[in-house]
Parts: sequence; structure tokens; C-alpha cells
Amino acid sequence: MSGWVALSVLACGGGAAVIRYLVSRALPVRPGHIPGGVLLVNVTGAMIGGAALGLAERAAISEDLRLIILTGVCGGLTTFSTWSVETLELVDNGRWRAGLVNVGVTLLLGVVACAVAYLLAR
Amino acid sequence: MPLALAAFLGGVLGTGLRLATDLVFPHADAGFPAGTLGVNVLGALMLGWLVGGLWTRPGIPRWLKVALGPGLLGSFTTFSAVTVSLVEQSSAGLWGLAGLYLLATLALGFGAAAFGLWAGSRLAHRPIPVEIPDDGSTL
Repeated sequence: MSGWVALSVLACGGGAAVIRYLVSRALPVRPGHIPGGVLLVNVTGAMIGGAALGLAERAAISEDLRLIILTGVCGGLTTFSTWSVETLELVDNGRWRAGLVNVGVTLLLGVVACAVAYLLAR
Repeated sequence: MPLALAAFLGGVLGTGLRLATDLVFPHADAGFPAGTLGVNVLGALMLGWLVGGLWTRPGIPRWLKVALGPGLLGSFTTFSAVTVSLVEQSSAGLWGLAGLYLLATLALGFGAAAFGLWAGSRLAHRPIPVEIPDDGSTL
């Protein structure tokens, strides 16, 4: 991996973090409800990741670009830590069902978006 | 410091640490992503600890919360890498591996976040907040 590729991964990761932060500001968490901002960025990032995986498989994009998109863009845009902590905050507040739904819906939409994008792109 | 800049700098650092972990602990395309699992468990633990403890104290500057929360730990951990690995494993017919990876990620990741929240609230010498503030903010 060249220095330019590593720099591109870092820059894309930082830029994607800003987008995730702005999305979560635009869609603030409503108490007791599913955090929509994190759901949106996680599903979107999973979809972009699936597309990059498929494009790389038929060599439509280089290995360098695959790394920049998967590790930089998608890795920076999506998050596991905020998803898990916000889910547990729902549970802490007695919103068991909302917490479980947040886990299930995020996983279902994320995996389906990733798989469909992969199958269409490959 | 502008909050978007704080998120950017934290994001660059978090992405760099995750990239370094991938390089130190590489895995085959349809292998078990131990590096990603470790990153997500560690990141969830640390964010839980901050949200449950340090964040509840007055006087923590907003830019520091943004740099460490959504910035550093948000970018360090990843959801897309989990779904991409699950798709790769399933596409290779390794359903058992995919199931094991998903189960390990959920159990260890959410367990770490819960432990972090608990440990943070102990350190802050105050109970875990029972009510989410009505202003709609969590971090």
C-alpha cells in the first residue's frame, strides 16, 4: 500500500465521520425512539460497501480504490460503537422493544442493502 | 474549535487506528475477521465508558466530546465491515462462519458497551441516568 493510498483512506475516513456527525445532528435522537441518524448512515455505508465488493470482484475498480472505499468511506461513515451504546441507552430507559427493534432493523436493512448492492455490482 | 473539524480530526485518527489493525491482523476475504471484531468490541467498551462516566460530568467541552465520540470511536468502529464480511462468507457458502461471526459481534460488542456504561457510571460515583434528557441529545 502506497503512502498516497493510506492518506486517501485517512482523508475519506475523516470526511465520512463529518458526514455521519452532520446526519446525526440533522436527525437528533428522540427519547424512546430508534436513532434514525445512525440507522441511515449504517445502512447507506453497508450498501456502498457491498457495491465496492462487487465492483472489485470483477476488477471494475482497483484494489487500492477498494481499500479507500471500504476502509475509508464506509468504515468512517458507519459505526458500531454509537449503534451499541444508543441501543443500550434505550434498554436502560426501559425501552426494551425499541432496543431490540433497533438491533434487528439495522442488521436486516444493513445486510440486505449490502447483499443486494454486491449482487447487482458484481 | 469548530465541531465539524473536531469530528474530522477524530475521524482521521480512528480510521488510521482501524487501518493499522487491519494491516497487523489481516484476514482472508471469507475468513474470520478477528481484527474488526476486536476493534468493535474495544470501541464499544470505550464509548460506553465515556458516555456512562466522563460525559456526565459538567465542564467537558463539546468539541472534545465530538472529537472522541462520533469522531475517534465512531470511525474506529465499523458496521459496514461486518456486513461486507457476512456477505463474503455467505457468498462462499460458509454459513456457519457467518453465523458465528454475527453472534460473536453482537454478544461481545453489546456486552462490551454495557460493561463500559456500567464501569463508567461506577467511576463517576453516580448511578446510570434513568431518564434520557428531553432535549433529544444523547452524546
